[in-house]
Amino acid sequence: MQPLRDAELGAFTFFASPLPHDVCGSNGLPLTPNSIKILGRFQILKTITHPRLCQYVDISRGKHERLVVVAEHYEHNLKDLFKQDKPVSSEKVLQIAYEMLEGLAFMNKHGLVHRALSPHNVLLDCKGKVKLAKFGLYHMTDHGADVDFPIGYPSYLPPEVIAQGSFHSSEGSLGEPPLPSGPKADVWSLGVLLFELCAGRQLLQNIEISERLKFIITLGCMDDIVTVLAEEHGCLDIIKELPENVMALLRKCLTFLPSKRPTPAELLEDIVFEGVSCLYTPYQIPVSLFSSSLRCAHLELPEDINELCKVDEEDYLSERSVDEVYHLWCLAGGDLEKELTNKGIIQSKPPVCTLPNFILEDGESFGQSRDRSFLLDDTTVTLSLCQLKNRLKDVAGEAYYPLLEDEQSSLPQSNSNNELSAAVSLPLIIRERDTEYQLTRIVLFDRLLKAYPYKKNQIWKEARVDIPPLLRGLAWAALLGVEGDIQAKYDGIDKDTPIPTDRQIEVDIPRCHQYDELLSSPQGHIKFRRVLKAWVVSHPDLVYWQGLDSLCAPFLYLNFNNEALAYACMSAFIPKYLYNFFLKDNSHVIQEYLTVFSQMIAFHDPELSNHLNEIGFIPDLYAIPWFLTMFTHVFPLHKIFHLWDTLLLGNSSFPFCIGVAILQQLRDRLLANGFNECILLFSDLPEIDIERCVRESINLFCWTPKSATYRQHAQPPKPTGDSSSSFGKNPAYYSAEYQDLPNTDLSREPLKLSELKAEISPRISAEDLIDLCELTGPAHFKTPVKRPKTVKTKIVAVDIRSSEDFNRGHIPGSINVPYSSVFGPDGEMLQSPGTNALTSYKGRVIVVLSNIMKNAATFAAHLVKVNYPRVCVLDGGMNKMKPTGLLTVPSPQI
Amino acid sequence: MRKNKGKTNTTEKEFVFEYKAGRNHCVLKVPLQFPIQENVSDLHGRLMLLHKIPCFVENELKSRLLAFIERETLEDYDRDAEAALQRLTSGEVDINKLTNLWAKAYTETTLEHARPEEPSWDEDFADVYHELIHSPASETLLNLEHNYYVSVSELISERDMELKKLQERQAVEMDKVMQELGKTLTDHDVNTVAAQHFDAQQVLENKWASELKQVTGIQKQEYQEWVIKLHQDLHNPNNSTINEEIKVQSGQLAEAGEMGARLFEEQRQLEESFTIHLGAQLKTMHNLRLVRANVLDFCKHRRHGSGGAKLRRLQTALSLYSVSLCGLVLLVDNRVNSYSGIKRDFATVSKECTDFHFPRLSEQLEVVQQVVLYARAQRSSKQREQPEMPRNGSSDDKSKNLERNSSNILPGEFYITRHSNLSEVHIVFHLCVDDNMRSGNLTARDPAIMGLRNILKVCCTHDITTITIPLLLVHDMSEEMTIPWCLKRAELVFKCVKGFMMEMASWDGGISRTVQFLVPQSISEEMFYQLSNMLPQIFRVSSTLTLTSKR
Repeated sequence: MQPLRDAELGAFTFFASPLPHDVCGSNGLPLTPNSIKILGRFQILKTITHPRLCQYVDISRGKHERLVVVAEHYEHNLKDLFKQDKPVSSEKVLQIAYEMLEGLAFMNKHGLVHRALSPHNVLLDCKGKVKLAKFGLYHMTDHGADVDFPIGYPSYLPPEVIAQGSFHSSEGSLGEPPLPSGPKADVWSLGVLLFELCAGRQLLQNIEISERLKFIITLGCMDDIVTVLAEEHGCLDIIKELPENVMALLRKCLTFLPSKRPTPAELLEDIVFEGVSCLYTPYQIPVSLFSSSLRCAHLELPEDINELCKVDEEDYLSERSVDEVYHLWCLAGGDLEKELTNKGIIQSKPPVCTLPNFILEDGESFGQSRDRSFLLDDTTVTLSLCQLKNRLKDVAGEAYYPLLEDEQSSLPQSNSNNELSAAVSLPLIIRERDTEYQLTRIVLFDRLLKAYPYKKNQIWKEARVDIPPLLRGLAWAALLGVEGDIQAKYDGIDKDTPIPTDRQIEVDIPRCHQYDELLSSPQGHIKFRRVLKAWVVSHPDLVYWQGLDSLCAPFLYLNFNNEALAYACMSAFIPKYLYNFFLKDNSHVIQEYLTVFSQMIAFHDPELSNHLNEIGFIPDLYAIPWFLTMFTHVFPLHKIFHLWDTLLLGNSSFPFCIGVAILQQLRDRLLANGFNECILLFSDLPEIDIERCVRESINLFCWTPKSATYRQHAQPPKPTGDSSSSFGKNPAYYSAEYQDLPNTDLSREPLKLSELKAEISPRISAEDLIDLCELTGPAHFKTPVKRPKTVKTKIVAVDIRSSEDFNRGHIPGSINVPYSSVFGPDGEMLQSPGTNALTSYKGRVIVVLSNIMKNAATFAAHLVKVNYPRVCVLDGGMNKMKPTGLLTVPSPQI
Repeated sequence: MRKNKGKTNTTEKEFVFEYKAGRNHCVLKVPLQFPIQENVSDLHGRLMLLHKIPCFVENELKSRLLAFIERETLEDYDRDAEAALQRLTSGEVDINKLTNLWAKAYTETTLEHARPEEPSWDEDFADVYHELIHSPASETLLNLEHNYYVSVSELISERDMELKKLQERQAVEMDKVMQELGKTLTDHDVNTVAAQHFDAQQVLENKWASELKQVTGIQKQEYQEWVIKLHQDLHNPNNSTINEEIKVQSGQLAEAGEMGARLFEEQRQLEESFTIHLGAQLKTMHNLRLVRANVLDFCKHRRHGSGGAKLRRLQTALSLYSVSLCGLVLLVDNRVNSYSGIKRDFATVSKECTDFHFPRLSEQLEVVQQVVLYARAQRSSKQREQPEMPRNGSSDDKSKNLERNSSNILPGEFYITRHSNLSEVHIVFHLCVDDNMRSGNLTARDPAIMGLRNILKVCCTHDITTITIPLLLVHDMSEEMTIPWCLKRAELVFKCVKGFMMEMASWDGGISRTVQFLVPQSISEEMFYQLSNMLPQIFRVSSTLTLTSKR
């Protein structure tokens, strides 16, 4: 989006027409409210950026089908030119005409028609250049179908539009709704406007509407419409004196028959603009982040680099883009409805005064007078930026232009620095509402993303602090490593040809996150369908499983206007976290996943695990939708965002920790209840505190040895040397995949599912043991040494072999607790020195070592039974350790 | 989507693209449906893929395709537009009718062209009152209201006294007559005396009724004038007497308020509250309350001295013109009047205190009667227009019933009255029910249940955030209402209301509401607790928030 510069933010409001009571759609579901349809259709307008068009910024729904639209706004408009009460000079008229046509032609290229041209919708910026406003109204209301009021202004309606009838008067009389208008309708309105400018007065002002329209229709019989109009308004002299090219322009615009009238694009090329067109350079659409062309290809640096640094004024905020400023305005306490109410645009009667008297059984109400406050008043109200500017007045200029090269400190060096670093420790919810903090974050992320993929590492680093909601879509794409010309790739996928999955997709979409306005809009459904189909078609080895729709939802929501990016993100996400989950036969993948999950429960919360196993409440009963949709099926979008902000930073085993964290939040209720209650509890999952969940899952993750979540069906290591590695490896220790590490003899070996299921506690690899115990020896380290030093005290190796074996050689630091000394034949715990030693280490990660895996597993199971947390088993047992040469023999006691 | 939207005639046009690949001359012909619905880039991508078009013509194909579609679409627009103009010139469409329809559309929907609004006294008063009640003057207002209330209740007690005296006197007379019956007096004489007594009673009642009406009329007028004057004075800083008066009074009243707060403890007998979450992913929070009370307890003002009454009154007054109103569902029979049963009791309660804002109940009912007649007329004319419309079978009986007496209302229909003089309620929904309510097998499709749904819908559209619903859909218990009957009925209503509340979330975006379920005073305590145990099984009660968490 363009920077705000001298523009202001404006808001106007209107009502969508209410739906008839109790009507169902063809699919038996309730109809979508018109306001939601409009909201969905509005979104694309945010992407229409052109110097002659007022940038649309946002739309919001209020009570009772009210919509408030926010767009770029200017105080001055063409109406001001009439106030001078004299004709506008013909050069100026030509310039205005040319500028308007530029805007119209650009709109037409995107399939939009203005239909509501009038002097007060043609705004003038500080330099007197034209900015068309309200150009999206006709589009967002589905050619006027979703609102009660007619679109357009009576004096400027072209004859064919009048002839086609207005929308809501059509009921009963004309039968059919009018057909949509084409681009040429605007040319007529432009003609009327230009005529008014030339004549210096407005046309058809003091006549009744029906007479006005009749007059326009009857113009068809006239030969020379311009002259007739001039005669009618007594300004023939002025019109006669117009230069030839202006006259020609007027005649061309005011051509009665649409087929003879030129389109805006044709008119733009017309000879009448010969003298004007050279003043303008055609608009270049800036290259987007993901494209095949070079983003800096057209970058031209001035000879003297200092020219760039020349400070014109202190107003850095206005150099930020319009949507950023609006976002900050909202954070600084901006309230659209309040602004409109203050200006008297929203007038509401107390509801007690507008109640109906009588309601029939089918819900039709009677005795309610038509409420005047529902009438259209499309005055645009300027949103004052004072409050925001005041709020940001202490933010130093450096904050707007952070230096990215400095890896040490990302936060700007200024007096507010302390405040900001203090802000980092505040809860996320508060940070997301803090104006100054969000400003610095947005600026920083904006710059980093512009430098993507070069600055990928730094994006990862900053994302670990938090991600500003405004830029989450792009930030996620960066974290997922989306690169390349995604649009071309997406376009190349056939999304139209019917496939067998269509029916299932069609059924699932109207049930997916429909509380959300965007996703429940018809536009949202269309986009859903396209992205899902594109994914299914482009992944022939995988199939559509229910749940894929939920998985798609957050990406689509964040990249609503960029389906290609939503698709690219989804395609990058699924192999990373849900590798092979969408196979036609995915049972082995899911079974292994769930088994590892139950081992994780036992590892982190033995008491809960014991209880759940006892009542037979296994993960298969509840956790499949959790993992298959990465929790998108169970949480509302705003929670998913916070959850995934962290999830995307972790590796594919992070979801296990989230699952355990959720269970722990419900711990008390689960422990207190039996099987039936648990099933009921999970059928309608209670509220989960997501911030706590994230915090706890990070904590759990840190306690989990990497190899404990080893899965043989996980994504195989990527071939080394692929393109993405050129921009640095995954920078984070936490995000490194276990599978990505080179496979050695000390790594974990695949296990049969039945064997895996039989083991309560997870196995860890010998490497992990060496690593975690910080055993010195031959260089076996494969993870970076960047690790908190405290780890050492968190782990204890328990050697359960007999003491003779132990004395023959053992891992330094391990303790010897022979199996038989602790547990009796029935698994009961015996009193012995070994038990005491174990008790003193309760809470640490306990690695059980043995020669015989079965013994180790049983020992671990017994420990879990008596509620020892964090118990795991060394994969392969002591035999694995022998070749490493790390075993020591205790020095003989003297 | 409008029904006939899809009918827009689609035409098929053929796009032809020729290119050379090596020595081969290839021609691509694609039939396209106009108007084009799909995305052009998609179409282009698909063509490239399906027809295996070499990539060196990719850009050319795209630009040609774009140009083709643009040209053809423009042509379609022109054709349609000129067809419309043609219809006008040929006289197929009447130009006057057309322009009048346009003019109507503008005047009815846009402020710019709408007729200026005639000032409405009601709304002005509403604004003034709302402003005053949220100012220090509120105490004064309430005091004034209270004084008026006291004088009306004095009048009412006087009336009751006099009526009682009359009745006693008549009873004595009657006794005498009865003793003489068969001796000096005949049956005929007794009847005459009885008729005389009745007449005398009527006369007295009428006299009091008209007096009451007059007093309340005067009170209302005085009050409204005073409110307007107070408002003017407050806006005129020179006139500070009233301001001071208010200040002085407010001091006294604060004490009274405190007293009241302490007394507030004495409450309805049985009441239990729940906080629930509704929704699958996004959850909305609502409050539910199960109350055992008489339905009119929500309307009656407490007698003097009880301080809770004052607070409750202030609460009701504060929210009268706000966006958080309180409603009550009253179950009535099919006649719109206040002659019998609960309707009569309600009317009596509503007369206990002058309504300073809205018309008297009887006037409101008169309006309702007219609206009912109008609605019936509308309906029948509409049905006559569209006779082919499929109607469900039961409506035939209904329409027959209606023809007999079109001023009666049907089960499931309801009318609404507005009140400012009831203790905890602004809006009363008079829901029509029939004897079916007593039966043990009510279904979710019953008109009364549908009526509840429509009531909740009105709550959504008119910002009624607290609603009281009779849980068993009866106001009084009777023989056949056994424990199983009650449980079954309660389950049905709980479940239906839950469904409607979930639906409401999609109507209004999930505004938090309070729903009070009312059970008759006469049910046993045991029954009440059985019901209160049932509620959390049906609604998901939110977990208690533990502030001192172990972890």
